[in-house]
Amino acid sequence: MNITKQQKLISILGVGIAILSITRTITSNGDLTSAVTISQALGFAVPIGLAGLAGIWSERAGVVNIGLEGMMILGTFGAGWAGYQWGAWAGLVAGVVFGGLGGLLLAVASVSFGVDQIIAGTAINLLATGLTKFLAILLFTDAPGGGQAQSPPITGEIPTITINAIADPLIALHDKGLFFISDTAGLLSGLFFQLSLLTVITALLFIGTAWLLWRTRFGLRLRSAGENPWAADSLGVKVTTYKYMAVTISGLLAGLGGAYLSIASTIYRNGQTAGRGFIGLATMIFGNWRPGGTGAGAIMFGYIDTLRLIDSDNKNVRGLILIGALVVLLIAVFLLRSARRSTGIGFALLGAVLVGAFLVASNFPPEVAQVAPYITTLLVLATASQNLRPPAADGAPFRKGESH
Amino acid sequence: MSAQGSDCIKMNSEAPAVELRGIWKRFPGVIANSDINLSVTKGTVHAIIGENGAGKSTLMKILYGMQEPDEGTILINGTELDFESPADAIEAGIGMVHQHFMLADNFTVLENIILGSEPHNGPLINFTAARTKINDIAALNGLSINADALVATLGVGDRQRIEILKVLYRGAKILILDEPTAVLVPHEVNELFDTLRELKKAGNTIIFISHKLDEVLAIADEITVIRRGTTVGAVNPRETRVSSEDLAVMMVGSELPTPETPGNTIRDEVVLDVEHLSVISPSGKAIVDDISFSIRSGEIVGIAGVEGNGQAEILDALMGIVESTGTVKFKLEDISDLSTRKRRELGIGFIPEDRQRQALLLNAPLWENRMLGQQTVAPNSKGLLLTPKSAKADTERIVKQFDVRTPGINVLASALSGGNQQKLIVGREMSGEPKLLIAAHPTRGIDVGAQAAIWDHLRHAREAGLAVLLISADLDELIGMSDTIKVLLRGRFVADANPSTVTPEQLGTAMTGAGKVSA
Repeated sequence: MNITKQQKLISILGVGIAILSITRTITSNGDLTSAVTISQALGFAVPIGLAGLAGIWSERAGVVNIGLEGMMILGTFGAGWAGYQWGAWAGLVAGVVFGGLGGLLLAVASVSFGVDQIIAGTAINLLATGLTKFLAILLFTDAPGGGQAQSPPITGEIPTITINAIADPLIALHDKGLFFISDTAGLLSGLFFQLSLLTVITALLFIGTAWLLWRTRFGLRLRSAGENPWAADSLGVKVTTYKYMAVTISGLLAGLGGAYLSIASTIYRNGQTAGRGFIGLATMIFGNWRPGGTGAGAIMFGYIDTLRLIDSDNKNVRGLILIGALVVLLIAVFLLRSARRSTGIGFALLGAVLVGAFLVASNFPPEVAQVAPYITTLLVLATASQNLRPPAADGAPFRKGESH
Repeated sequence: MSAQGSDCIKMNSEAPAVELRGIWKRFPGVIANSDINLSVTKGTVHAIIGENGAGKSTLMKILYGMQEPDEGTILINGTELDFESPADAIEAGIGMVHQHFMLADNFTVLENIILGSEPHNGPLINFTAARTKINDIAALNGLSINADALVATLGVGDRQRIEILKVLYRGAKILILDEPTAVLVPHEVNELFDTLRELKKAGNTIIFISHKLDEVLAIADEITVIRRGTTVGAVNPRETRVSSEDLAVMMVGSELPTPETPGNTIRDEVVLDVEHLSVISPSGKAIVDDISFSIRSGEIVGIAGVEGNGQAEILDALMGIVESTGTVKFKLEDISDLSTRKRRELGIGFIPEDRQRQALLLNAPLWENRMLGQQTVAPNSKGLLLTPKSAKADTERIVKQFDVRTPGINVLASALSGGNQQKLIVGREMSGEPKLLIAAHPTRGIDVGAQAAIWDHLRHAREAGLAVLLISADLDELIGMSDTIKVLLRGRFVADANPSTVTPEQLGTAMTGAGKVSA
């Protein structure tokens, strides 16, 4: 039996909605699939997704970008600095440019000077943290409404889109509480309810990346720099140029992610990224260095983040535990059927523990949700590591003319 | 058999596909090519042979535009051309099939082939056109390939076909194959030769670089011999009968050396005495099973055996690298419990089977590699401190004495060819007048000239009283060099052979356990 990609995707979606629906029914927690939740989740997914996308660009060209966090920080600062003076759109542009400069710096260090990519990336993270703290004191302390660690409020905002004609009936359908149908309606309604223009732009960037990297000459050559730069070099591909472009674009995207954070909270604050660059890297690995999977990973992380943050009476974390339990048990079934017994048994046990926790405890510390993204990434690595295909020359230093 | 100079362009026939006149290439400290003259007739397989380090690879890099010659001219189809990059060479219809495949594992065959010259509509790759073109070229040249397979799933033979397709796809009519058989097993070699014949039939010219003489004689229409960076002769095996011995003589400039140890230099002193040596594998199997032997001063004891019958474990046990039972006595002293370093300090040299794994730090310069394993003794250290200065001076000595071809002693070991790495190791292990040398395949992977030099060193050391335990897959070497041969099968000595009477065939049979040889 051969399953096409589309069929696989639709069945995964269906199973996913079913799991959400079951959980919602059991916990009688309508928030799990409400328009507000989904809309927020998409919002939280944007910076993580952009960081992941930035990671794809860089690593597909063979440069490990551990400096994503730093580039995002530069983006948040740029958005705060330009945003409070000239408005949100100017802030967006400045954030993108600042991030791009971070990317360019990584390219210069790792591509031109052959500095170890991990060290160069770490250096950028440290540099960005220190530099923005220093500049914040210098530029924001005396600005009206600013402080030593934060910018004055960013003026203006990026418009959001709400299409009531579609959203309202869907929300009404969601409130009826029907199994599966209401949840599908709830998930869909989130797409038409207070959707930020930046979310739309991010989605287009994902589609554009997939198209550019996998359908065009430019993309094939860029990816060849990450798979076997020596082979590409021998065929006349300008590997260094492609690496420069890729890493700079990576910085631009990470900067956009950072700018989004500042603009969405109408202010720049020190430490605003809170490790989202690293979570972005995790989504990239989760997504097998591909835009589709990375986007899905970002939405998942955004969803978990949202449930944690809008948790009024501690119901959401409990729901999350059940969702996790169901997913883990489902994976266990698949593993056991595909004869990977030891991993399968491990997952079954984990699932049982989660179900037990759900049944016994009614109150979970919100920190549980905070670590959920990381645990998810670990589980993905545990199950899918054999199927993950990172670019073969990811992280390898390259010098033109040298053979491998 | 005359060297072809610039003056012998055949006016009556077509211009040669490739002609090189007076090519020189110097690197800091090394002249890689000096006065290379070469003429390749269109539609032939032209072999270029020479020892490792003779300058074949540099020459091909020049022809493919990866390096520019310091002097000399390149003529392609009678036109003088300057290559500044491989792109220029490709433009001129030259394609290179690299010795180490240049393929992206995570790409499909198609993606690997079209990379860099993709058929396209605007920015989009036209996959349909690419597939058609590849299949057409494959059919024309008798190459079968699935364009949509992932390269990671393919074997060595397929990968080589992809490399050939890559250059054909770029319109190459002149194909350079750099030691193409080095990575192939025998039946794949035959397939490759079939492919080459098809390619020739389709009108292509093939330049075939090798140092395997029997293969060259099997496939080549013309042969050019390179020695020490210069062309020393051209042969047409279709017109003149040549043997691989003739070619070898041209390659090394003298008669083919034979391994021989004249006379009996064995003295009474027992240097190594091994009793009841056993090595047990983690799974409980006896890999070395209760063997005993001794080696006297001035004696070479050879161990014959199919690889994997316990040779590596015997070596490691004698060096104290793996756990073993039984006693090992070195000059009457029990060394069974001594560490590897202590054993080395007593005067035991060790040439391991896998030089890159056990004998070298690839990313360290030659002089640091010179210290390796002898870091506690002169000239490498004094007291607690290393003495790099004298170690460097001694490295210079080894380089000179053992003819290690290198630009200097500060280059990384990884920059040396396998043969030159081996020469450095042999030189190091024979430094400091060892009393015992434990050597596995001391001349494996190195060319005939260097082989002879290493045999010479062994002979002299033997006359001076060195005891040698020799393991080799080269039975001629084993028979020629050894004073005594023991046949190893499944961890036990199953027979002794007398090197002065045994033939390689008899020894080979004994190694499989099929027959006995008389002592």
